[in-house]
Amino acid sequence: MTARVALVGRPNSGKSSLYNALTGGDAHVGNFPGITVDLLEANVTLPSGGVVTVTDLPGLYSIEAVVDPATDEGVAKAFLDREAEATDRKLVVVQVVDSTQLALGLRLTRELVRAKLAVVVAATQRDVLQAEGRTLDAPALARAIGIPVVHVNARDSATTRRDLVAAIDALLADDKPPSGVETWEPADVAAKVVSEEPSTKATARRRAFTARADGILLHSLVGPILFLGLMAALFAAVFLVADPMTSLMDSAVGFARAHLSRWLGEGLLASFVCDGVLGGAGTVLAFMPQIVILTVAMELLGASGYLARGAFLVDRILRLLGLSGRSFLPLLMGHACAVPAITATRIIRDPRERLTTILVLPLMTCSARIPTYALILSTFFAARGAWTKAAIFVFLYFAGVLSGLVASLVLRRTATSGRSLPLVLEMPQYRLPQPRLIAKKARQSAARFLRDVGTVIVAVSAVLWALLTVPLPASATSSIAADAPAIERSVAAGIGRALEPITLPLGFDWRINVGLIGSFGAREVMVGTMGVIFGIENAGDDPAPLSVRMRDAKKPNGAPAYSTRTAMALLAFFVIACQCMSTLAAIRRETKTLRWPAFVLAYTYGVAYLVAFGVYQAGGALGLG
Amino acid sequence: MTRDLAAVLPGESAVVTSLDLEAELVAWLCAVGIGCGERITVLRRAAFGGPVHVRTDCGGEFAIARSLARSIATSTASSAPHAREDEERE
Repeated sequence: MTARVALVGRPNSGKSSLYNALTGGDAHVGNFPGITVDLLEANVTLPSGGVVTVTDLPGLYSIEAVVDPATDEGVAKAFLDREAEATDRKLVVVQVVDSTQLALGLRLTRELVRAKLAVVVAATQRDVLQAEGRTLDAPALARAIGIPVVHVNARDSATTRRDLVAAIDALLADDKPPSGVETWEPADVAAKVVSEEPSTKATARRRAFTARADGILLHSLVGPILFLGLMAALFAAVFLVADPMTSLMDSAVGFARAHLSRWLGEGLLASFVCDGVLGGAGTVLAFMPQIVILTVAMELLGASGYLARGAFLVDRILRLLGLSGRSFLPLLMGHACAVPAITATRIIRDPRERLTTILVLPLMTCSARIPTYALILSTFFAARGAWTKAAIFVFLYFAGVLSGLVASLVLRRTATSGRSLPLVLEMPQYRLPQPRLIAKKARQSAARFLRDVGTVIVAVSAVLWALLTVPLPASATSSIAADAPAIERSVAAGIGRALEPITLPLGFDWRINVGLIGSFGAREVMVGTMGVIFGIENAGDDPAPLSVRMRDAKKPNGAPAYSTRTAMALLAFFVIACQCMSTLAAIRRETKTLRWPAFVLAYTYGVAYLVAFGVYQAGGALGLG
Repeated sequence: MTRDLAAVLPGESAVVTSLDLEAELVAWLCAVGIGCGERITVLRRAAFGGPVHVRTDCGGEFAIARSLARSIATSTASSAPHAREDEERE
């Protein structure tokens, strides 16, 4: 008979660390009928030679309370119900319990025992408990509740894995039905099995840290100021820290382009490699440092326990707009990428609030917008200092947040109106983030970005190069001046020009239109697209940075092609438009209908057009060049 | 003295006596240690009617919407170990 091990536990109980320790970090996405959520699973070999599949379930507080099946808790509960009923395989539930908050975790243990499940308790945070001068008597706990208990330190992977697989193996070898004690009080049991050494000054200081930190970070006046300052510093740092690295990578790409160009000579192959692939994908590659830095910052905030504090601070404001502190976590995550953030909305217990959060998430400034923002800032605000550019960068982030909040206010009074469940949110203890896990996330985000550049952006750049190289029939280009560059007679230029009647009121010419079409499915393609266009247009010249080429671009009459107000209108458009097929697919997956992704596409593009129009026209009225 | 959880002052403890809420929400709150008979310590209240930050007897800390706290009736706890503990820390 095969066996499955389900890893369960409250959110923030150290489940991810234990999963990594148990499986060696190996994971693939499981496919479970009736469950549309991606659950990570891995095979683990037991000392007896058997192999079990370990599945990491979403965070869970209770299996007895009724919850919305679309939420994290609902998914975990449905999984346990289904596996418990399966007759062809055994189920062992490994419950991860934070030993520093034993009584809280044991409430779920009691429910699992009452449900007649075969349970192993994995009590984590052994090192933290010891540092606090406390010890857990694991054998006494096992005797009190009648099930195996393993006290582990997930940072010591080898010992954790050895102890845990031994306990799982023993439980699987036992053919008797589960015999846990069903009636006991978690607080009483915890008080008996956790002993405390006489308090020392150092221990008291450690235990008071959370209280003192909360006293400052959640202070009515100081807390919100620190919160806003932290957010502004974070977004500014993304620009200021990464900008020199981005310039360096940009120069490296330019250097490679110049050498390849000399080596390959002239001709279609040289144009394809230098202007198409390197001009497109290579230009986008230079923005990887910013994306990695943003990911690291988000992970640090989440792992330290500060995100829940942020949720506490902003709950009142979000409530006025129809959301709650629970929406804050996915909304902040959306600043890295909307796709995992849409999945993270499963922590929101209220269906209406969850849907509203999903619908406004595409307005948060995700990392894919960074290349375009950075390009526009370095092109049109080059004369300004780094701090001014960083300030504009921060403003764009807050503009995204503001537009999301306005959209939420409107949606909660129209499409998603109705009463919501009130907030109940766990405030986890502060933790020191594990560098290994943060580094892993950074590697993953860099790998994902490289994969996108290597596949989607290279493909789009290649197609675009072809469309910008193949000319339209002569009859279709009779209105174009004879001495105009060949690119102006290309198929892509023809398509871009056909859209100009709609986009010229926004200051967008055919080149930007081609960029917008190219970035319809993924907004990071915009920079690559512009790189290809200006690469071909300026072929034969020195490979100057894209920003210089865009700044020097001219209209047929010799006037500058773009002005500051064009830049502002383009930024406004990018703040709002949902140019991301992956996001739309995630919305489709989470809402199980095409209606909501279509709605998001329509409302974001409609509003983006109107706002960009307003910005460009207002800029003209104010005399901006 | 009987009062709702929103009226309990920061640093004070109270015992939950009843929850005037939907059954599903009551079940979930009980599962995390905010049920009848449980002692709760209020740590702080956010400004402008924001959430209440509480600690349960099990050691879990939760942010609870003020509207929800108003639906949780409490009576004064006979002793408040957590509050005393916090005072000692100061």
